[in-house]
Amino acid sequence: MTHSLHREGTLSSLKRDFCLFIYPARGFNYEGSGPKVRRLMELLYPTDPSNMIVSSLRRNLYSGVHPDEVLGSIKDGARVYSTFNSREKVKEVLIRLKEADEGISIMVSGLVDRVREIASEIGLNPHTINLSLGIHGRTDRLPPADIRQFTTMCGHGMVSPNLVRDVIRKVKTGKLSCWEGSVTLAAPCTCGIYNPHRSAELLKELTPLYTVTRW
Amino acid sequence: MIINGEICVGCGRCHPYCPTHAIYFEDLKSVVDQDICYECGCCLRIEVCPVDAIEENPHVYEYPRALRKYFSDPNATHAQTGIEGRGTEESKTNDATNRCGPGEVGILIEVGRPTVGMDLKDIQKITRALAKAGIHEIEPHNPFNSMIQNTSTGDLKPELMGERVLSAIIELQVKQDRLRHVLRTVRKVARKIDSVFCLDVITQLEPGLKVPQEVLDIIESEGFSWRPNAKINMGLGRA
Repeated sequence: MTHSLHREGTLSSLKRDFCLFIYPARGFNYEGSGPKVRRLMELLYPTDPSNMIVSSLRRNLYSGVHPDEVLGSIKDGARVYSTFNSREKVKEVLIRLKEADEGISIMVSGLVDRVREIASEIGLNPHTINLSLGIHGRTDRLPPADIRQFTTMCGHGMVSPNLVRDVIRKVKTGKLSCWEGSVTLAAPCTCGIYNPHRSAELLKELTPLYTVTRW
Repeated sequence: MIINGEICVGCGRCHPYCPTHAIYFEDLKSVVDQDICYECGCCLRIEVCPVDAIEENPHVYEYPRALRKYFSDPNATHAQTGIEGRGTEESKTNDATNRCGPGEVGILIEVGRPTVGMDLKDIQKITRALAKAGIHEIEPHNPFNSMIQNTSTGDLKPELMGERVLSAIIELQVKQDRLRHVLRTVRKVARKIDSVFCLDVITQLEPGLKVPQEVLDIIESEGFSWRPNAKINMGLGRA
């Protein structure tokens, strides 16, 4: 469960942040799904995802892995997790996946209004929605909202709030660029849905607001 | 996780990567607090240690500590579901499975998320409150289900008390007319736990990506609101 429906941030930031999943159904179309997922993956990869991972390999786009190694790892039951930084790219990949018609489930996380527009434009009829009703309980124990914009991009909580603070400090002091900092933040996310493009934009926006007390 | 003190050079590079801040300095070496560590493996996987001093705890696969790993390491495959992570496939493959049918709703209580983690006593407070309210429709295939000792009381297995995990998901599936009762119960128990949880509602859509109005009305009338982003099954799967 990638938790992608709980990504936090402003609407202007979230409107350029989409996750797309390719997911065989255990007990239904799992057997024999390997070649189909591989075909879908071949269609997805050229559309320039911001990040991507296959569950059978668990190495994201910035780990130095070669695309052939990713494709070669796909077997029955393998799932694909990807993230995109533009509406047009998601639309393009959905057109391709729809035409391929492999019968494998496709999920998209993003602003509902945007996904509705895309679905309408390409003639898709979405089936099920997973709505987020927010965070409850001891919310005073959460890191601040600006840090959560980064940490909630990894649903499993592998991007530590302290790592975000460390990267902000390094960007602020010129040890890392915004992009290098974002790739550093994307590394712990093994489900491949940390969006480094959005993260770099956030770093650029937030870094001037911080004061560095330790170099 | 453990850090081999004979090898560690005390550079501290691993510290910021720990989601639970379990790594600290002791005598100029890095040490992992075993009570706090969730066994998520992030510090090892990230390969940031220049001398390879980070190692897996030799007791990590011993029950009940193994639960820390199964419920905290996204790469660990749970023995019961065969699925990596904490949940089942929920809404992701509902177009193929129709697990959540028309007139039904799925409810996910993702305890410990985001990032805070939890003591299993916290999740027991929720399962007890659900059981007391007569809500027993917990998804049998969710790995969390194996922690429950008594479904009529919501008690977890006693040996689990004191264990900590990064997150676990209570997954319910109820008829739409039961949604109000579940949300009311969840709202009450939210005040009693020492962690956080994310709350999700899953429902089949009407044509045009329209969420059934009855579902939205119930959510709103119980004092909850829904976020503008969501996870949407695009309807391309089939059995």
